[in-house]
Amino acid sequence: MRELYTSELEELESVLREEGKLVDRAIRGALNVLARDDLELADELIAFDDEIDRRYLTIEQSIPSLLARQTPVAGELRLVLAILYINLHLERIADYCVTVAKLAKLAHGLPRDRAVLEALEEMGERCREMLGTGLEYFYARDFTDSQALIEMDRPIDRANRKLIDRLIALGPDESQREWAMRMMLASRCLERIGDHAVDIGEQAAYLVRGRFEEFTDASHKPPPVT
Amino acid sequence: MEAIRTRIDLAGQGRSSAAGEREAVFEARDVSVFYGDQKAIDSVNIEIYQRLITAIIGPSGCGKSTFIRTLNRMTDLVPSARLTGELRYRGIDLYGPRVDAVEVRRRIGMVFQKPNPFPKSIYDNVAYGLRILGMKKDLDERVEKALHAAALWDEVKDRLKDSALGLSGGQQQRLCIARAIAVEPEVILLDEPASALDPIATSAIEDLMHELKRDYTLVIVTHNMQQAARVADMTAFFGLDVSPDGSRQGVLVEYDETEKIFTNPSDKRTEGYVTGRFG
Amino acid sequence: MPEPVFSLRTSGRLRRRQLVSRMMGALAFGAALLAVAVLAIVVVSVASRGASALSLDFFTKSQAQGFNPSGGGILFAIVGSGVIVGIATLMALPLGVLVAIYVSELAPPRLARVARLALDITNGIPTIVIGIFVFTLIVVAHGQSALAGSLALAIIMVPLIARATEEVLLLVPSAQREASLALGVSRWRTTFSVVVPSAMGGVLTGTTLAIARAAGETAPLLFLTSLGANSYADANPLHPLQSMTYVIFTYSDLSDPASQAKAWATAFTLMCFVLVTSLAAKLAMARYRKKLGG
Repeated sequence: MRELYTSELEELESVLREEGKLVDRAIRGALNVLARDDLELADELIAFDDEIDRRYLTIEQSIPSLLARQTPVAGELRLVLAILYINLHLERIADYCVTVAKLAKLAHGLPRDRAVLEALEEMGERCREMLGTGLEYFYARDFTDSQALIEMDRPIDRANRKLIDRLIALGPDESQREWAMRMMLASRCLERIGDHAVDIGEQAAYLVRGRFEEFTDASHKPPPVT
Repeated sequence: MEAIRTRIDLAGQGRSSAAGEREAVFEARDVSVFYGDQKAIDSVNIEIYQRLITAIIGPSGCGKSTFIRTLNRMTDLVPSARLTGELRYRGIDLYGPRVDAVEVRRRIGMVFQKPNPFPKSIYDNVAYGLRILGMKKDLDERVEKALHAAALWDEVKDRLKDSALGLSGGQQQRLCIARAIAVEPEVILLDEPASALDPIATSAIEDLMHELKRDYTLVIVTHNMQQAARVADMTAFFGLDVSPDGSRQGVLVEYDETEKIFTNPSDKRTEGYVTGRFG
Repeated sequence: MPEPVFSLRTSGRLRRRQLVSRMMGALAFGAALLAVAVLAIVVVSVASRGASALSLDFFTKSQAQGFNPSGGGILFAIVGSGVIVGIATLMALPLGVLVAIYVSELAPPRLARVARLALDITNGIPTIVIGIFVFTLIVVAHGQSALAGSLALAIIMVPLIARATEEVLLLVPSAQREASLALGVSRWRTTFSVVVPSAMGGVLTGTTLAIARAAGETAPLLFLTSLGANSYADANPLHPLQSMTYVIFTYSDLSDPASQAKAWATAFTLMCFVLVTSLAAKLAMARYRKKLGG
């Protein structure tokens, strides 16, 4: 029944999956740019964003059409809405990766601090993990506990604080200070990436449970373990 | 409407849709239909494209059924009906003096609102047209092929000699589709094919139409907008015009890709109709 | 508790309604019983009066020669009736059906009205007049024959068959015609392949009624095959043949009781003949309907 509709939904999700993989590569790419201070890699990454944008736009344009033509209800409606939001979050994550690459370009040639770079790497990898987990929950339509995602956010916060302390302690040299500012902004980007990854997890929970709940909110403390 | 994959490729090539490249099967120029002195449809200009599903929607009395019946000259059966303007099928004027209406109907088949199988066996229903039109070679294979194409073979293969009247409504309608397909038309017209059926049978017919689209051009009249949205590639909205003397005629208000009609129609009347505000 | 405005209890009005309903039921039953009873009385009285003449011989021997009133049978009267009515049916059935098809499917409305009127008038012509007509047409020039009798009977049968057929053709839903036409089948083929087969039931009924009517006709046969009373062993349609109705007529004219009994017996045979034809038609219809599986 409604084979065309079913295959449209499947195609939509498969494009999202592709986008998810590309975004994961983008995060890794951004981290590599920071680690290696490689200008060419940075440019490649910025160009790579086009691939992600194409899929983003495709999903953006397909969803109103699908809603109008197939009038999904119940679980399928939540699926389409979840895809809509996850698409948006993925695109934002990709944009932040581009920002990190641009920051790295601007910071090229300046004196670097290994501890800071390690902290950034740590944050970035945790982000990738969160993104992967959130997406997995979505694909599997299985959301047994939101706690895991919230837990993953903590290492990012810790790394972030460690990093800020380190940056403050850096020397008085102007070029050092410039590098510190750039890395500060980069860390901010990574933190935002982490937030978007959590949001993706929230969408997965919405899809499965049928109601929307925020896991963490900037204005509130995280909820107790449920 | 393009499949999502195709969209990515098309976007890469900078195009928006492939429909515009298709051949036009029907071309109507200024076609008006009269019943005696009463004008039923006013001045329709439309092109119907090959191997797409074109839906005709609109409020009751807007002339949708009348229009689809002009496409295979079934309007001839009403003595007072006449048509002005030009209606071409693959370049041939359908209402020209040397055109045989019977031959037209062989090439352009029709399925009706209420399933109307003959009171004969399932096999004889499908074979009816074949026998009369002299396509008797390999009759068994042709019947089987038609029943396969109508997604009915598996359900009836063991009871081909049973009466067609013993089938359910949805099955009967698919049988009527098989009967129409058997004589190898190029176009299939469907006049509200699912309105007498329950939702599951309706869904089966809609899925069937997607498959048939690969080989045939389909035109469907439906009063169910959601069905047009689900099924059609192109949608034509017929509205009602009231002329100064008070008489009402059907007019073609808007004709575009289904997606556009249901997400961003150009005409306010179309928007009013598809949102269910009037009509 | 105050008394509710509408009560569901049995009231006087309801009891009256039930009584009326039961009375109507009884009346209808009585009328049906009466109808069956009349038929039964007719059959029984005819059979009983002819019982003395009914025997195997009666059906298998031809008429006795000479003036001997007893003995002999009506074999060739049966054969003669069969031939005359049979040929009449063969003539009237296709003609009646074709006329009905023309009138209901193909004729412009005004012509159709004229044709229907003509059929109705023909139906009302006294059969003796038809007999005279055929007499003038054929017998004057060629002498009596069973064929002439068949022609007269056919003229009587055509309006009956045509009317019954037309009525049942009109009952075939136009959706069936549309379906056939939409396949690219011509009007003629549609009529013969879809409409007529669906109408077969009515055609058979009409034909049966026409046969029953024709089998009972005496007046036309007076002019056209009466001389067959003298041929005792003939089945050739070009010759005048015996017929059961004429035999009833001649036997009942004779005053001796044996001949009278023979008249009654022939009447009984004729009745059975019509009955068997009706039953056969009904059986054929039932089998046809089962074939259609409807």
